[in-house]
Order: sequence, then C-alpha cells, then structure tokens
Amino acid sequence: MNNLMQQLINGLALGSIYALIALGYTMVYGIIGMINFAYGEIYMFGAFAGLVLASYNSVNVYMALLGAMLLTMVLGVIIERVAYKPLRRSSRLSALISAIGVSIFLSSLMVRLKGPNTRGFPKLFENKIFVVGSFQITIYQIVIIGVAALLMLGLQLFVAYTKTGRAMRATSQDQDAASLMGVNIDRVVAITFAIGSGLAGAAGVLSGIYFNAVQPYMGLMAGLKAFAAAVLGGIGSIPGAMIGGMVIGLTEILGVTVNLSEYKDAFAFAILIVVLLFKPSGILGRKANKKV
Amino acid sequence: MFHRKSKAIVALSFLMVALLVVSGCAGSKSQTGNSTTPADSKEPIKIGFLGAKTGDVAMYGLNTLKGLNMAIEELNKNGGVLGRQVKLVEEDNAGQKDQAINITNKMISQDKVVAIIGDPTTGITRVAGQIANSKKTVILSAGATGTNVVEIGPYIFRDTLLDTIAAPATMKYIIQDKGWKNVALITSKNNDYSVALTKIFTDAIKANGGNIAIEEFIQDKDTDFSGQITKIKAVNPDVIVFSGYYTEGALLMKKAREVGIKAIMVGGDGLQGDDLMKIGGQAVEGSISYAGFSPEQPTANTEKFINAFKASYKNEVPDLFSAQGYDALMLIAQAIKDANSADPEKFKDSLAKTKNYEGVSGTITFQASREPIKSPVYLLEVKGGKFSLLKKVPVEVK
Repeated sequence: MNNLMQQLINGLALGSIYALIALGYTMVYGIIGMINFAYGEIYMFGAFAGLVLASYNSVNVYMALLGAMLLTMVLGVIIERVAYKPLRRSSRLSALISAIGVSIFLSSLMVRLKGPNTRGFPKLFENKIFVVGSFQITIYQIVIIGVAALLMLGLQLFVAYTKTGRAMRATSQDQDAASLMGVNIDRVVAITFAIGSGLAGAAGVLSGIYFNAVQPYMGLMAGLKAFAAAVLGGIGSIPGAMIGGMVIGLTEILGVTVNLSEYKDAFAFAILIVVLLFKPSGILGRKANKKV
Repeated sequence: MFHRKSKAIVALSFLMVALLVVSGCAGSKSQTGNSTTPADSKEPIKIGFLGAKTGDVAMYGLNTLKGLNMAIEELNKNGGVLGRQVKLVEEDNAGQKDQAINITNKMISQDKVVAIIGDPTTGITRVAGQIANSKKTVILSAGATGTNVVEIGPYIFRDTLLDTIAAPATMKYIIQDKGWKNVALITSKNNDYSVALTKIFTDAIKANGGNIAIEEFIQDKDTDFSGQITKIKAVNPDVIVFSGYYTEGALLMKKAREVGIKAIMVGGDGLQGDDLMKIGGQAVEGSISYAGFSPEQPTANTEKFINAFKASYKNEVPDLFSAQGYDALMLIAQAIKDANSADPEKFKDSLAKTKNYEGVSGTITFQASREPIKSPVYLLEVKGGKFSLLKKVPVEVK
C-alpha cells in the first residue's frame, strides 16, 4: 500500500511533465486546428537551455526556469512565423509535414551543437526527502508537481480573465468572426505559440532536474506521449490536457509497479487507441459539430 | 521547346561521360586487384575499425581507436608487417546496427580490409560477425564480452575478458568476501549485453548463496526510473547489481540516492565509461565493476604501453578499450607474421593457435573454441570520481 502511494507520487511527477507539454498541443489545436509536432523538440531545447544556464554558478533554479521559458517562447514564435504561418491557409497535411520537418531539424541542430551524448544536469539545489506518514516525497518531486500546477493554474486564469485570453477563446470559436470583431489573429496565434512553447520549455528544465538526463532525442517520445495525453483529455481542452498528462504518467508508473516495465512506453499509445475507438473526443472534449 | 531539348541532351551526354569515367575507374581498380592479389602486393595491409565515434557508446569506440592508432604507429615505425605498412580504415557506426552492417559491407567489398577490429559491443559484433564470416574476413572484437560471438564461425575472434569468467568472479567477491547477500538485480531489456549478463549474474548469485530480492527491468534510453527505484527501496537490498551500460547506471544510482538508498551498484564492464562519473557524480561513488585491464600495478609490458600512450595523448592514462584495441591489432599482426601471409583464410588459423600471448591487457590464450581466456580479472571501484583497482583475481588456463 505504501509502495502504491509512493508510485502515485512518482506518477504525478512524471505526469506533470507530460501535462505541461500537452498544454501546448491542445492550445494550438484549439485555436488554429493544427498539431504542432515540434513541441517535443521545444521541450528538449528548454532542457538544454536549462542545462546551459544551470552551469553558471550564479544561476538559481528560478532563473534557469524563467530563462529557458523565455528562450523557448522566442523559439516557438520564430517557428510559427517561419514554418506554420505561410501554411495557415493551406491543407492541414502541409502544416503537419512542416511541423515534423521542424522537429527533425531541431533535434539534428542540437546534435550538431551539443553532441548526441546523454548529459547529466547540474545540481540547482540540494535534494531533501520528506517523510509524510508512511511514504516519502523528495523536494524534486514537490518542485515539479508544484511548478507545473502553478503554471497550469496561471494559464487557466490567463485564458479565463484577461483580454488576450478572451481573444484566444474568440479565435478558437471562429477565426473569421473574431477577426471581424477586431481581434488580431496573427497576434493571438503568436501568443498561443509563445505560451505553449514556454510551458514545454519549463517542462524541459523540470525533467532535467528530475531525471538528471538531457539528450537531443529526448523530445520525440515525450512529445508523442504528451500528444497522446492531449488527445486523451480531449484535444482543445486545457483541463483535459492536464488530466490526460496525469493519466499517462500514472499509467506508465503503474505499469512498472505491476512488472510490465518493458511495455511502459506502449501504455500511452494503447490508451490513445482505446480512447480513439470508444470516445474520440477524449475525456473532456466536446463533440465536434462541424458543418460539412 | 528546342531550348529545353538541347538542355536535356547536354545533361544526358554529361551523364554518359560521367558514367564512362566512373566505370573506367572501377575497371582499372578491379584490374589491379586481379593481377596482384592484395595478400601478396606491397600495398599497405588494410585493417578496418568498426565502432561508434558518436552516440551513447562512443566512449568505447573512441578509446579503442586510440589503442589501434598507437599499435599501427609502432608497427609502421618498425617496418610494418611482412614489409608492408599497416593502414587503418575507420568509420563511425554511432552504435547503430544498421549503420554497422553498411560499414562492414563497405570495408570488406570496397576497402578490401583483411581484418576488422571491433565492434566493442556484443550486439553489433554478432551482426557484423555474420557478414565478415560469410565473406571470409577476420573480425576481432576488442570489447564484446557477451555470449554467442565466436560461435558464428571460424573468422570471428575477440580478445576480451569474458563475462562468463569475470561476472561469476565478481559475484563471488561481493557475496562471499563482502557479505552482501540481498541483491536487487536490474536488467536493461533492450540491450543484448545486459540480458545475457543478467543470466550469468543470476546463476553466480545463486551459486554463491546470494538471494535475488527483486528483479527489475529498464530500457536503454529511459530516463525515468522512479517506479523501479521505489520498488527496490522497499526490499532494502545490500547491493544493486546492474547489468547494463554506464549512462543508465549513472541515472539509476542518482535516482536511488535521491530516495535514500545507500546500497552501491555492482556491474559488468558495461559500466566502464567516464560518463558514469560525469553523469552520476557522488551517486556512483563506490560502484564496483570488473575489467580486463587496469593501469595500476602494471606488468613490464603494460607499463611500456602506458608510458607510450601518455606520451601520445597528452598524459592521458589508457583504459580497457585502448589496451584491448592495441592488443587486437598486435594479435592480428602477429598472426599475419606467423602465417607469412595477409590472406585472412591463412592467418585466421595462426591467430586461432595463439597461446599465452603477453598482451598489455593481460595474458591471452585462445581455446579450441576460439574463446579467449584472459588473466587476471581486475575488480575496479569508483573512488574520488575515478576507477581504481580493488582486487586482481587470477584466472587459470586449463
């Protein structure tokens, strides 16, 4: 039982990272209806940005986190401008292929810059173990779950209560109508990409702290699982992405708990297939009522 | 219209000329190949290096290469082998099997190497071995320690300390000498080497009266081990036996220390890589692994090698892979001299007869099965961020 409780905490920490990346997928899909398959690589860039920043002694964990987020936000906006904006009016397939191209480019670029080896992550702060009742939680896990929860809450408030948030919601309902009402669509899309990329960047730094390992191809699997999480939660839904991320993280750890660690990467996709078969709109997704 | 057509004609004729030139070259090349077989010519003897220069196991490849280059320099300075210079053909397989297949084929059919040294890992050696054996080219792995390697055929050799000899010696030491009976055993499921080594460890643990309290599985490239480590902590092991490579070993131990596990890690020579300490830091301090080489307490032969190596590589001390790489090339050179021919069909037999060869990485004898027996087994411990000699365990040749 203790063991199970412990595993739930492990699962939540892992799930927080998937959830942060999943938010990017879900926001971009919600607003312009495309899948940005480069989020995994933006996450990887965030992790490397954190690695570089953390190697300076004067940088603390908050500065590393904020610096990486800023860098990935800029990266996200550049990617949108260069690779997606010119294709916004063309078929979804073109945008998808462009996204895959961007993701391959980014991981190859990082191999060129930093080499393909796995690297450890510098220690940003001392680890501590807290014993709560009969189970324990490490300070790394608290930071990961805490920072992820704060970012997600911030995002939720931003979308619900700010003017830009309202513009985002309006754009997601009807781009043309929103544009006629004076919403600057380009700006809204850029902000969406910036926020989604910033969250993925934060996830990268958190994973660096938690797993101690950073390598240029880490984005692929994490990105795919986060995508599965977004679909599971109902793509386009922000709370859905969070729930989806947690479910994927928990299932993965529970898979290890019941001695099925060989299949842990497969769980996310098995769930994805089941969801697509029985409730294609996901847990919190609304049924799409598109005019044909 | 006319314009386009003429362009096409120009392009086509250009292509044909190019083809003629290329085929002409190829023709002349094969002619020289036919008139004087590579075995008898005065051209350099080509030896291929198969291994990773980039990627997760790059450390093995790069260090092997350093040993190879030293051996070649030494041979060529003393007039080469059979009066011919020795030339190394090197390619990077990045630790990937498909790359290794392409490279092995290329080295044999295009570069016409007489022997290939490498790959330092068992999985790739098995794949490359199939090709080399079928094309009658000697392959000598300076690193493969897993099972089912030399069984592939008469052209396959290796000069490494075998897991089947070293792993039981290590388990005997940790269970009987150290008294660590309660073992957590971890295997990397998608790593051939790790899966095979776990089998040897399991038998040796049982034979020495140890108890496998828990058996966990990870995969190479995994970074999240929290699930496995939580389960391992629950059984409170005396020691963590991990059969995989250094990257995952380092990450596992970091996670273990994070949750307060005090047990150290014991593993095979897959843990021998500086990245173990670079990534693992304090968490891998005290880890024990075995190796076929240690620069500490050297024999006269080994000391000469170490000094020459230091002189060539900015005072760097050679590791297992450099020493085995050096020995691999010297073994092949010796075999070519003994057979008085650089034809792999001939010198493979003299190579197979090697007995008590005093290499820099220990004494090497090939059994009838072509499996090497090496002595001694070096148990190394991570101390102050470095591998240092813990114990020398001699191995008897029957």
